[in-house]
Amino acid sequence: MIYNAKYLCGAVKIRISGSMPERFINLCIIEQILLWGITKIDEDLIAWIRLDDFFRIRPLVIASHTKVKVLAQRGLPFVVKRAKRRKTLMVGVILFFALLYTLSSYIWFVEITGLKNVPDQGIRYVAEQYGLRPGSIKNGINSKAIEREIELQIPEVAWVGINFTGTRAVIEVVEKTMPKQEDKAPAHLVACKDGVISEIIVLAGQAAVKNGNTVKKGDLLIKGFALEPVQIGVEGQPLINTIQPELIRAQGIIKARVWYEGYAETELKQTTITRTGNQQMAVIMKLGSNEVAFNEIPEPSYEEFETEIIYKQWPLWRNRQLAVESTITIYREINSTHIEKSIEQARNEAYNKALQAVQSNIPETAQIVVHNYEVVKTPEENIVRVKVNVETIEDIGQTINISQ
Amino acid sequence: MLRRKGKLQSLAGFLEIPQDIVMDLPRITMLGNKQLLVENHKGIIEYTPSLVRIKLNQGELFIYGEKLTLGNLQAEQILVEGVVQKVNYDI
Repeated sequence: MIYNAKYLCGAVKIRISGSMPERFINLCIIEQILLWGITKIDEDLIAWIRLDDFFRIRPLVIASHTKVKVLAQRGLPFVVKRAKRRKTLMVGVILFFALLYTLSSYIWFVEITGLKNVPDQGIRYVAEQYGLRPGSIKNGINSKAIEREIELQIPEVAWVGINFTGTRAVIEVVEKTMPKQEDKAPAHLVACKDGVISEIIVLAGQAAVKNGNTVKKGDLLIKGFALEPVQIGVEGQPLINTIQPELIRAQGIIKARVWYEGYAETELKQTTITRTGNQQMAVIMKLGSNEVAFNEIPEPSYEEFETEIIYKQWPLWRNRQLAVESTITIYREINSTHIEKSIEQARNEAYNKALQAVQSNIPETAQIVVHNYEVVKTPEENIVRVKVNVETIEDIGQTINISQ
Repeated sequence: MLRRKGKLQSLAGFLEIPQDIVMDLPRITMLGNKQLLVENHKGIIEYTPSLVRIKLNQGELFIYGEKLTLGNLQAEQILVEGVVQKVNYDI
């Protein structure tokens, strides 16, 4: 703190020469003039004195019959004095701050965030119309008005917020969630899975299958034709259908029994390998044709271990291969354990695995009717194989647009 | 005079007042052999890099050493820096 005060006021290094320089110091002490860093060179004293005190010592110098010479100056007053001489530098400093201020009061970038479906050109266009564009002055922008205008002119937008971070204007947009537009294009309903139809509810169109029918994937379930008017035909005369049926979008629920099959196996005897976390590392650096080993391990001290070799090289640059390469070999200690399971345990495990495999294929809405499993007999004794059959009732309808 | 001083000293001891204030004595603080701070002095008599003589209320303080400099010189205190080898209190 005292140093800062000294720096602000300025300090002068003086050389006091004369027959009794100590007398000068005593006079300074009496006058409450602060001196510091006093050293003696030859017969002269060197001391630091504050700049404002320096102008008060003249009578003391005369009284003590000494001579005072200024050796060095330090502090803000001298910096200011020097700066005054260098006018161009000062002009540059002022110009720098003025430019910084003026340039930072303009908008340089306009950013739009939060858009998902609405294109940003529309928002950008509206914002530009009301003055928010790169190059406009920040203070002249009425962000509230622009927010309102964007909300009014772009109906898909629910809320708009404009804020400035430095020279960047960020338009934050929240979109409205619009109700889904219903597809009105004519379509058939086809099966997306193999199965046996168990329930048919037709909402629009004509059913093409009956209860109990077996369908394959891709088979037509509901035709996308409007119901034809009941034709009263005369016996014996063929019905002449001259009117092309009107195409509509088939709708309905077709439930079917679907079968899934899953399979999994487990070994009775299993060897698992776990890392213990202990590892040793050997680093070899290759410089041209010389090899430098930093941390050489001839043979790791572990009973069982796995080895990983990492080979590092500088990326190729203009097809020139650098001569520096390094090879890191990591030896990791491992523990291997043999686990023997009972047949039931293995079977349960395999069953769970198989069930999991099946369940990933079953949609969530499906209703599971039956599920059973069987153990597949194999000559191999070490492996238990399990097959799982699941029967579900689910909606297998899939709309496919009719190409016209 | 001496008796009065003795009384003052015992009174100061009884009241737990620092004696340097009551008795107007110099307080000399040494930081290893690097720094020596003299408070309540009466001025400097002689200064060379190997010897500093400081005038006290009664007598004189001789500081012998090497490369001695006066760090901070004020009306209340003198800070002697450098390598202090010997301090001699001379009444």
